[in-house]
Amino acid sequence: MKTMRLFPLELRRLLQSRLTWLMMALTVLSPVLGLVLYKPATSTTMLSMYLANPAIAGGTAGAILFGLLTIFELDRACRSRVDILTDAVVSPLTTALTRLLALLAATVLTVGLTMLVWLPISAGLIGAVFTGANYVLAYLLFLGLALPLGVLAAAAAYQFTRRADLSIVLFIAFCALSLTVWAADWQLCWLNPCVWALSDDFSNLRVFRSVAWMRFTWLLALAGVWTISYLCIRQYGKGVFGSLARSVRRLYRPVIALALLACSGTAYAAQPFLDHSNPDLTVMSFYEIPYAEGVTFVHRTAQVFPDTDAGTVTGRASYQFRNTSGQEQSISFGINPGYAISNVKANGADIPFTVSDYQEYNEALLEVTIPAEEEVELTMEYSGFPQESMPTMQGGKELSDEYLCLENSALSPRVMNVMPGEAGYPAEIEITLPENMLAIPFGSSEAEVVAEHEDGTRTWRYEHNGAGGILYAGDYIREDIEAGGMTIEFYYGRKHQAVMEAAQAVDAVKEVVDYCTEHYGSLSFGTGETLKLIQSRVAGGGYATTGASLLDEADFTAANLGNTEKGGGAGEVMIHELVHQWWGLGNMFDTSDPTSPWSAEGLTVYTTYRIVKELYGEDYAREHYVDQWQKAVDDYYLNFYVRNPEYLEMLPEQVQLAISNSLSQVRQYNEMPLKIYKAEQLVGGEEAMDQILHGLFNRELNPMYPYLTYQEFLSACALTEEDLNLG
Amino acid sequence: MELKIQNVSMTYPSGKQALKGLNLDLKSPSLIGLLGPNGAGKSTLMKLLVAALMPTGGNILVDGTPLNKSESQLKASLGYLPQDFGLFDELTVTQFLDYMAALKGLKNPKAAIREVVAAVNLEEKARAKIRTLSGGQRQRVGIAQALLGDPPFLIFDEPTVGLDPEERIHFRNLFSRTAQERLVLLSTHIIEDVQSVCDQIVVIHHGTILFTGTPEQLIASAAGHVGVFYEREAGQEAGLHITARVNTSQGIRCRAVADKLPPYAQAEEPSLEDAYLYLISREADQ
Repeated sequence: MKTMRLFPLELRRLLQSRLTWLMMALTVLSPVLGLVLYKPATSTTMLSMYLANPAIAGGTAGAILFGLLTIFELDRACRSRVDILTDAVVSPLTTALTRLLALLAATVLTVGLTMLVWLPISAGLIGAVFTGANYVLAYLLFLGLALPLGVLAAAAAYQFTRRADLSIVLFIAFCALSLTVWAADWQLCWLNPCVWALSDDFSNLRVFRSVAWMRFTWLLALAGVWTISYLCIRQYGKGVFGSLARSVRRLYRPVIALALLACSGTAYAAQPFLDHSNPDLTVMSFYEIPYAEGVTFVHRTAQVFPDTDAGTVTGRASYQFRNTSGQEQSISFGINPGYAISNVKANGADIPFTVSDYQEYNEALLEVTIPAEEEVELTMEYSGFPQESMPTMQGGKELSDEYLCLENSALSPRVMNVMPGEAGYPAEIEITLPENMLAIPFGSSEAEVVAEHEDGTRTWRYEHNGAGGILYAGDYIREDIEAGGMTIEFYYGRKHQAVMEAAQAVDAVKEVVDYCTEHYGSLSFGTGETLKLIQSRVAGGGYATTGASLLDEADFTAANLGNTEKGGGAGEVMIHELVHQWWGLGNMFDTSDPTSPWSAEGLTVYTTYRIVKELYGEDYAREHYVDQWQKAVDDYYLNFYVRNPEYLEMLPEQVQLAISNSLSQVRQYNEMPLKIYKAEQLVGGEEAMDQILHGLFNRELNPMYPYLTYQEFLSACALTEEDLNLG
Repeated sequence: MELKIQNVSMTYPSGKQALKGLNLDLKSPSLIGLLGPNGAGKSTLMKLLVAALMPTGGNILVDGTPLNKSESQLKASLGYLPQDFGLFDELTVTQFLDYMAALKGLKNPKAAIREVVAAVNLEEKARAKIRTLSGGQRQRVGIAQALLGDPPFLIFDEPTVGLDPEERIHFRNLFSRTAQERLVLLSTHIIEDVQSVCDQIVVIHHGTILFTGTPEQLIASAAGHVGVFYEREAGQEAGLHITARVNTSQGIRCRAVADKLPPYAQAEEPSLEDAYLYLISREADQ
């Protein structure tokens, strides 16, 4: 009660200090750092560049500034000996609590001011894809909650040590931990949240939720630590332990501290966002499970009900198997580690099941034993919050009324050890979505609405052939484009409509498809009639499958599409991903050997260069492609570990992996395109190379070994490996 | 208001024993002068009375209730001016007093502030930032905050330090008026201040009480133990403590206290300062 009475007084006093206003002003200005200096969000979406980075930088700087202000303010009363007067009137514990509340109120005021100042700036920089909800959530979570964390940490340090110098050292060390060794751990980086991207065109609830979880975990932890430090506030001339012994006599105080710490520990351990998949990506033990003897796959149906408010999924899946073994068989399914299985029935009877604690590639193993009957129908119900695997690239499992992506076992449990039947792995999927969302199966099949419900939702149904499958859904606009003799279904986010229209993206798609069809031939896979081109939520790149190609929204930003140097065409990754429809789909290339430069990327990057050259001119293409490849390859050949591979083996496994992955990227994305470019010159120019590539694209396939090999490419060019040496 | 100090001891963690089994009754209205040399235990006693320290032995009762159970009651009825204190420099005098008034929970702070500002002669500086005040003016702000809210129990530790003689007299009178209805504990080195206004004196030395009583009683205890003589006449007697040396036309005239005056010393009427010094010197000789 007394604390509440004293709070406005302490706040007023705090706000009469020039230092307080200086710190507030610096915090208000600090988002500038995110525009010029500190850019933790590496994606190039407008919201990453102009919202996430300023807000994270502002939060980082603001928390440090307010931490220092806290130490100064707490120490000032002691340093100037005002505490002798105040302690004679009220308990030092009351004063400490009041000062903390005043400092926290100052952070609230600062966050409000910062948001007001940056609202027009952010709206102006972000442009058409700016939304108030993203702005408010980003500033509150990335910046707003960092400031009280800084205050709590600094106040605790001071209350423990009662020395300003030592408190500053401890506080700065705590900040440095977050900025360095904890930076890649999304739960530990309390100061600078692990946000690599914010989507412009779709929602960011998943990212906001995970940052909020991290912030509240730390708020609980630091509130607990602060409460313990509060108990150590020196009283009656006693030292830290004497004061603690005195303060804990009121039992509710240590109980509150311990409860806060326990809640924080629970929140840390029970986070729902990330799975515990084996970090060693070379281990693929789920793929080594032996096939169930005499069991074949007949059919799968799934009814999926995403809860777009909660971000969860509920589903029912039914699997029909033919078991000719005459014995019970163990069937394995991969399920998303965030899901719980509520029951499994075989031919209508409940059967036991187990879900492994071990996880691999974002899947846990569900194991059931089917009866020794020939026709078995296995049904199961599952539900939960889909988890993902990459802590530093969260957001892939976004699920909201603007966007969702359910991949494989996140859509329905994926059967792992059953041989395909005569029809393969036929499946019929139904998903119920809000009416504004379009369901887009990633592949050649089309979804159709089969029911409309009174609650404004619609049920979509589509067929698929595969044990897994990927479904995208969102608030999309669909454009049908006739190009290259087929219909391109171009899907992009409704929020991006103005940008797409201004950039004449539809025309760009047509140009690219026409170019590839003319130079290399028509796409022969899938239906042959259609190709889906889907703008995805920011994912760090795109990928393609039969009849569909995914394009990362980062390549469709207003900044990228409006780049005048590119002549106003679409982003080059869009071209790149489209080219993968020609080079890289299905089994055209064998599983990439990381030690070899030969992969789908070589021809794709080379073709992208050719299209870019045609679109934007020779100078642009040379500067942005050939010169870049050359520079990367020169650096590669000078790389210490390339020249001395024996030293690479001596490094710790993780470092070794990071370096070898990086070198592999250079080989595939730079060395091979440069080799193909050299081959083009050796075979007599672009036209000759186009003829060779046309021949390779349309060659007769050996069904036993359908892959396009480097040797086939060299033979078609009448060249040897040595001819293409770049050294 | 009544404070009972019962067999109170205070030993610091360093092992230093600051107070040894102190017993004292303080009852309002009274203005009590607390005297003692540096390190005698005066400040420790005052810190115990404002609950800044907890005694390591004995009890302090506030109106019959142990201090550890009536700490908030004590703080609510206390005005305290420590010897070494600070102020918030960025605030004005009025703002600082307003801050302290709010800490004390005063219901009509403006009137209370006006009253104490007038009492300490700071009307002209009421709106001045504290950082612009002189040492004496800051001391007056300290006195003002102690007086805020008419607390029934006031503790002043060296309140007239830094004040000019005129101000000292002003504050002496103020303390005297204040003590008509309250319990005021005044610790000072300036015996003159005590002699002028205190109705009771407590002398502490080496953590024990040497004397409690009225100034007159303390003076009376030194009768026959104060004498004057010229330095040239003096011998080497032990136990003779010179308290003043004055240059005169006939030589240096000394004033001294002793348990037994030497024959060449002429007895004088003791002052309060003489009595205090006699008390302390006698303790030192023992």
